[in-house]
Amino acid sequence: MGSSSSGMKDVPDAQELVQETGFSAAHLLRLHERFEFLDRDGTGELRPEDFDAIRELAMNPIGDRIIRAFFSAGKETLDFPSFVRILAHFRPADKNRDRAQQEPANSRTRKLRFAFQLYDQDGDGKISRAELLQVLRLMLEMQVTEEQLQCIAERAIQEADLDQDDAISFDEFKKSLEKVDIDHKMSIRFLK
Amino acid sequence: MPSRTEHHSPAGVGRSLPERGLLLLAVLVLLEGSVLPLGAASSPDTNHQGNVDNHNEGNVGHNVTTKKPFPVLSLDYHHIQTPFEISLWVLLASLMKLGFHLIPRLSGIVPESCLLITVGLLVGGLIKLAGEKVPPVLDSRLFFLCLLPPIILDAGYFLPIRPFMENLGTILMFAVVGTLWNAFFIGGLLYAVCQIQPSNPSSLHQLELLPCLLFGSIVSAVDPVAVLAVFEEIHINELLHILVFGESLLNDAVTVVLYHLFEEYSGVGTVTVLDGFLGVICFFVVALGGVLVGAIYGILAAFTSRFTSHTRVIEPLFVFVYSYMAYLSAEMFHLSGIMALIACGAVMRPYVEANISHKSHTTIKYFLKMWSSVSETLIFIFLGVATVDGQHDWNWTFVTVTVILCLVARVIGVVGLTYIINKFRIVKLTTKDQFIVAYGGLRGAIAFSLGFLLDNDHFPKRNMFLTAIITVIFFTVFVQGMTIKPLVELLAVKKKQEAKRSINEEIHTQFLDHLLTGIEDICGHYGHHHWKDKLNRFNKKYVKKCLIAGERSKEPQLIAFYHKMEMKQAIELVESGGGVKLPAAMPSTVSMQNIQPKKPPPAKTAERALPQLPKGREEEIRKILRSNLQRTRQRLRSYNRHTLVADPFEDGFNELLLKKQRMIELEKKIKEMSNYLTVPAAPPDSPTMCRARLASDPQTYSMKPGSDNMPSIQVDLASPQSPDSVNMLDEFKLANQQRRQEEEDQGLMMKPPSSTGGHNKSGEEDGGRDQQKLMRCLSDPGPSADEDEDEPFLP
Repeated sequence: MGSSSSGMKDVPDAQELVQETGFSAAHLLRLHERFEFLDRDGTGELRPEDFDAIRELAMNPIGDRIIRAFFSAGKETLDFPSFVRILAHFRPADKNRDRAQQEPANSRTRKLRFAFQLYDQDGDGKISRAELLQVLRLMLEMQVTEEQLQCIAERAIQEADLDQDDAISFDEFKKSLEKVDIDHKMSIRFLK
Repeated sequence: MPSRTEHHSPAGVGRSLPERGLLLLAVLVLLEGSVLPLGAASSPDTNHQGNVDNHNEGNVGHNVTTKKPFPVLSLDYHHIQTPFEISLWVLLASLMKLGFHLIPRLSGIVPESCLLITVGLLVGGLIKLAGEKVPPVLDSRLFFLCLLPPIILDAGYFLPIRPFMENLGTILMFAVVGTLWNAFFIGGLLYAVCQIQPSNPSSLHQLELLPCLLFGSIVSAVDPVAVLAVFEEIHINELLHILVFGESLLNDAVTVVLYHLFEEYSGVGTVTVLDGFLGVICFFVVALGGVLVGAIYGILAAFTSRFTSHTRVIEPLFVFVYSYMAYLSAEMFHLSGIMALIACGAVMRPYVEANISHKSHTTIKYFLKMWSSVSETLIFIFLGVATVDGQHDWNWTFVTVTVILCLVARVIGVVGLTYIINKFRIVKLTTKDQFIVAYGGLRGAIAFSLGFLLDNDHFPKRNMFLTAIITVIFFTVFVQGMTIKPLVELLAVKKKQEAKRSINEEIHTQFLDHLLTGIEDICGHYGHHHWKDKLNRFNKKYVKKCLIAGERSKEPQLIAFYHKMEMKQAIELVESGGGVKLPAAMPSTVSMQNIQPKKPPPAKTAERALPQLPKGREEEIRKILRSNLQRTRQRLRSYNRHTLVADPFEDGFNELLLKKQRMIELEKKIKEMSNYLTVPAAPPDSPTMCRARLASDPQTYSMKPGSDNMPSIQVDLASPQSPDSVNMLDEFKLANQQRRQEEEDQGLMMKPPSSTGGHNKSGEEDGGRDQQKLMRCLSDPGPSADEDEDEPFLP
């Protein structure tokens, strides 16, 4: 968009990113600053250890998973465009999207897909009982007995599992959240 | 202060002639209105004094003159007059409510509030026709101290915290800025209009600016009672409901400050800048002070409830008394009593609910609903009566201009504010939303009472104000109240979703909360989620430990939710099995839990509640049971002392969980049978009926449509001591007896049938219809399946 602020020159592929993700130039700049802040050794790429430095994230029960979600399969480093692409999921949805366009990162489906992938660690497209139990264990930490966890997981799967394969597929996941306003729930106001 | 009517028959007449006295009593009762309890507080003494005097006189007379026969039956109306009349009013209000719902078409077209005002008008008219002086029933003290608090407490205790907090910014904007805008716009323009009346040098010219502004501030506040009454019937979506309703609650602080400010200085005639500045500070003091007072009392109540495990009976009392005292304390300092009450209810709720027994919870809920319902009815009736009574000063210009200005100001205010607010909202407010918010700005009894409080000396135009206020109230309640429902339909505004929250939603929303908090941390952005998370952590670490008794303080939110769900289902099941006569061909799948080896009475109730079964089936059932009993004995230990209706938390919920686990395995096999189909919508309920009945609406019990595998808690039966208890089987069970026999080795349950392919369809429908029948038969649903309840402290 022809922004000529000095910071924008440092941002790699700024124009493309703006087009692709829908962030405004100002937001992109802000994210870049944050990226550089996190990138302590100044390599231009982030590592998992850099994320660990964020204190609040360490206290988050699913902090590890979130960090790992940024690093797509196998890669150990994260460059700025990938960083931005993931964060683009959390932009509030655009009201008047052109239907012909390819689905943007912050559409409801894509948001849900991102969340789904956090559950589905082995990437088989289904949340198995074990995976659900793992998540529950993380969230509920030490406070519950194994039995209670089993009960809850069992019930959750029963409620959501429509094709009775004892696992929750993405469509079932979407369906169970149909009443929740995902746009609202999975958007950060800051990223507008 | 209002005076009592003094038209009573002398006591002597009644005493000597009982029959005439009784007749007269009946006539008196019909003609006289109620007497204000507070205003009349002094008079019963004088009355009593008068009585005593009479009595003494009579006695003296008795001593001096001839001996009269001992009065076997005497009439002493004064003795009981005040409470009697109050009770009559309450009875009248309740009977009216009953009556409305017996007339089928009426309650669908006209909102209850309108009908009640009409009744009030009629009663007032009758009294006036009879020549009696209409009692000034809507006395401000009565209103603010007795009639208003139950409604607000009910609203505050059951306030859905999550949508409220999420939209707090928007609500505050509407409440504060919107009300200010309304007040000044209406007041200012009214003054201008009054001044430009050249032809008619009427009393309007005398109207100063400040009284106009005062009037503007009184009439501009959206009224929570009216909003509740109307919105409850239209079942609008949660966002709009909380916006309008939240606004009506929070604008109390603004109203209080403006009212006092203008009232103080109306006598003087000028308001300086300093006063204005002090007014702003006062606003913050009033609002925050009210919230603080409420929060303190809320915490006190929560703390008290921690120790009530041995005196469960008075638990509800603490909730009510602490809340009322919060209200009174705030009113004492001229802080916002409404905000105090809301804060108190909202703060204490999560902790109190974790501490109190299930029955106390039900009690609190029903009492609050009952009181608020009665209060609301009385308020509307009194509005009608007060209309007839008041000395009206009708001034065409003033009144019509007021009504028009109210509408215009509201529309402009809402549109303007939404434009600003939408810049900060993630989910924007559409035009439709704005229209509903603007249209839902109803005025009500609070405006009237505030106007009533005005002193006639300082405000010579008081009667004109009152007339205008009443007109505005009537206009908004009647016109807007009646038309909002068709408009909502016409505009296809999103309606409220009735289904219960599922455990999936709960898990996933928590997960998403954590996710978003994490992302915010990564972005370095201290947003909404960050603070919520911090507050949650603080709550978990410190607050819960103080305020929640025993083990429950460590219980995570998800578990609490899960427990609640299971309990509700269990109770549902018990009740749906109760008192239902099913056709023999289609027995239900509900089985009755009956494990109380030590306590025979529950066995009896279970028996009473069972449906009839043909003899042959019963025999089979008993055979199966008996064969099972051998295996069950050693397992029973873990399921000891468990009834569904008792508070499971008190009786060891872990045992229940173990059972649930096994049953859930079994439930897979009965998925088709326990298809809780969505029941077609119940006829439109009046708001108070809705509130009073809570979730007796079958809809709220049904799970999401299409989720066939909703595990129903098929609590089953395994009491060796009462082999008479019958398990209701369904066709499939009998068909699959073979399979069942071998599965019985696993445990003591009566196995629900495995679905066989062909039978499924018809079974499903029948089962579904069955469930429908069961649902509709629910008389007393017990605790509601409201979503409100499932809200944890910080959802």
